[in-house]
Amino acid sequence: MGGKGARLYWRVQWRRNDGLGALFLVLVLFAILYAILFPGIFAIGAASKFVQGWFPTAMVAAAQTIVMLTGGIDLSVGPMVSLGSVVAASTMEGPLGIFGGVLAMLALGGGVGAIVGAFVAIGRYPAIIVTLALSFVLRGVALLIMPRPGGFVPRSLSDFLAGVHPTAAVLLVLLVIVWKLYQATPLGVGLIAVGDNAEGAYRSGVNVTTARMCAYIASGILQGFTGLYMAAKTGSGDPLIGEPMTLAAISAAVLGGVGFLGGQGTMRGALAGSLLMSIMISVMFFLHLPLVAQYIMQGLIIVVTVALPLIRASMRRGT
Amino acid sequence: MGVQRAVLGAQNVSKAFFGNPVLRDVSIEIVVGRIHALLGENGAGKSTLINLLSGTLTPDSGEIRLDGQPIAALTPREAHRHGVAVVQQELSLAPHLSIAENIGLGSYNRRGGLIDYGRLAASVEEIGQKLGLVESPDTPVDQLPLGRRQIVEIAKALFIKPRFLILDEPTSSLAAPDVATLTKLIRSLRDDGVAILYISHRLNEIVDFCDYVTVLKDGAVTADRPLAGLDPEGLVRLMVGRDPQNLFPPHVSHASGDLVLQTRRFRTAAAHDIDFELHRGEILGIGGLVGHGQEDFMMGLYGAVPANADQFRVSTHGREARTAPFAKVADANAVGVAYVPADRGKEGLLLPHSIDFNLLLPLFARRSAEPRRWAEEQAITERMARRLNIKGDRRRPARALSGGNQQKVAVSKWLPLEPSVLLLNDPTRGVDVETKREIYVALQEMAVEGKAVVLLSSDTPELVHLCDRVMVFHKGRVAATLPHGEGTEEAIVAAAMGVRKAPQGEAA
Repeated sequence: MGGKGARLYWRVQWRRNDGLGALFLVLVLFAILYAILFPGIFAIGAASKFVQGWFPTAMVAAAQTIVMLTGGIDLSVGPMVSLGSVVAASTMEGPLGIFGGVLAMLALGGGVGAIVGAFVAIGRYPAIIVTLALSFVLRGVALLIMPRPGGFVPRSLSDFLAGVHPTAAVLLVLLVIVWKLYQATPLGVGLIAVGDNAEGAYRSGVNVTTARMCAYIASGILQGFTGLYMAAKTGSGDPLIGEPMTLAAISAAVLGGVGFLGGQGTMRGALAGSLLMSIMISVMFFLHLPLVAQYIMQGLIIVVTVALPLIRASMRRGT
Repeated sequence: MGVQRAVLGAQNVSKAFFGNPVLRDVSIEIVVGRIHALLGENGAGKSTLINLLSGTLTPDSGEIRLDGQPIAALTPREAHRHGVAVVQQELSLAPHLSIAENIGLGSYNRRGGLIDYGRLAASVEEIGQKLGLVESPDTPVDQLPLGRRQIVEIAKALFIKPRFLILDEPTSSLAAPDVATLTKLIRSLRDDGVAILYISHRLNEIVDFCDYVTVLKDGAVTADRPLAGLDPEGLVRLMVGRDPQNLFPPHVSHASGDLVLQTRRFRTAAAHDIDFELHRGEILGIGGLVGHGQEDFMMGLYGAVPANADQFRVSTHGREARTAPFAKVADANAVGVAYVPADRGKEGLLLPHSIDFNLLLPLFARRSAEPRRWAEEQAITERMARRLNIKGDRRRPARALSGGNQQKVAVSKWLPLEPSVLLLNDPTRGVDVETKREIYVALQEMAVEGKAVVLLSSDTPELVHLCDRVMVFHKGRVAATLPHGEGTEEAIVAAAMGVRKAPQGEAA
């Protein structure tokens, strides 16, 4: 890429930080608080463990963001993660082996994403209805395969993904790089354009159906992989392990400035949002806050962080 | 030169929506090297015809032809590939994407699968220079005012290096210097061999630089001829079949001596030190180029943006009602000040709700805690519909109305409240001639009834022919206040451009 072009790309990307200042500030404050409360975080092992705790939320937040950017929403994130964990824990032992099992997982996620995409992008059904319905189906299938936690994930895979190595951190960096590349393709820009102004994007010659379809497939792959990761982390499958993740994914995305109407928001914002949620939970845990108080704090922090830019904007108008 | 002339055409196309025929047996040919005007009132089928030519819609019968070849199932993508670009009235921009990304959207050059940002940057710079697009290409489009977005939209059409360029009212939200730039550009495109289809309600523009005209009326072609020998009056006759003399009702001032609204050094963020007087029965025009504070001034009067003043007096129904600028819109409404926004789709109307409901909305605001009085409401809406000539079932959603009729609803909904001051923000923007005339008559009737009307308009003839006085804004201040007669088009435009300071200049 020529110098001029690269400069344009990065300047465009930089401008997308507008409005994320408050979030980044809150994030830094919490990170400092965390480091003070728990100085051991700077050891490689502890840092790896921390990233492993954050990783699933980051993944589902990313999955949710991709869909929300197109103007959709995915209410089946949690059950999809559960199904992924169950399928992972029941296939790895078989003839597929680890490699085959991983591929099968990604295919499963992509396949489910393609089904949602077909309904939403081609059939024009509202995403909220399709994924709500799908969440029940997926939950049922997961419970059918594995009525209670069980199964088995090879020790080597667990060690690789959730052991002492910073694998999760590397995977997150990979995710960011792939996303940056995607945002430099016509399809990636089309994804935002479709969420922003679907009619306009269509008239501009963007293939609206393809852009939406790709978004749902990519989102499904991320969700499937999160399921696999959860299984590796716990060493077994659990048909309900993903349940809290649907809302966690939406909260993190909203916290990160991703809008419900589509087109608005950034992946960096969603990842920062998920990181903030992870740190918050850890900090409150260290402070020995009761669980109830933790929930209330989480809710308040989301409201405040989302409201801050709005309050600032209205103050600016007032002067 | 032996090369086949490039032609985009529609051959006997018809199109109906929900059984309503919108286009009937229409043929048109857009030919290289000529600027082709498409004229017609709102609802005449212009937009539908454009959508057929650009592949957004497919005709029920008839065919779209490119260079003589019929094309089945044209899509926008396909149309782009054939070099058909459209600048729509409703912008096709993605507000959260940058200017550069929007300009290339749908037609990016690729390099190794990625967008070729180098070429994109170069093209954006080149096109930007032609159009006077000075904003940095990384600016998100939602940070631009409407007029600048329109420029981006035009830049986007030029990006595909079109052979056929369709412009649907490209100047309706542009400031005068941009209009001049665009006009020049369109001419040079024509000379470079681009075929241009140009839609505008500004007849002077059309007479100025179009070569050929097709007129649509009620979905059928009523004229298809070279433009030579036609003046704006002639065009209006073709469109409405009526003499344009009575487009503006004869000017009779109904202004009385009673002050309704008076300000000294009225200030908002964009308007500075405005001294302002408004009388009962007066129609006061506000002119100026887009973005010179006049809109902010009006919003400030209405209490929609923060405002300050050394003196602010509102007297309605014969008594002093207010001595400070309105802090909020409800305060303004309470003493009979009403506002009709320019963007009727977004601010003026609730499009999914019925026409009746929209007409009654200001009334509901006043009677919030009372039970509905269906019979009375029916009578009111019935009367308003008759007065403004809104035909058909009023239980239809407001969306079903044409743009002009929507505007009539947006204006008339305030009438049952008997407002004493009516603030109108460009009520005839993008409205067809016939509806314009109806709105003018309605404004005059209001003046006769003793209401004071403030008419902010981007259409200079309106200010000339309709208003008792015209205030012209320049850089946030009143550059001139011209009484009827002195407020000629030249005087208003000159003041708006900051050419002359004094209200009365010697004839140039």
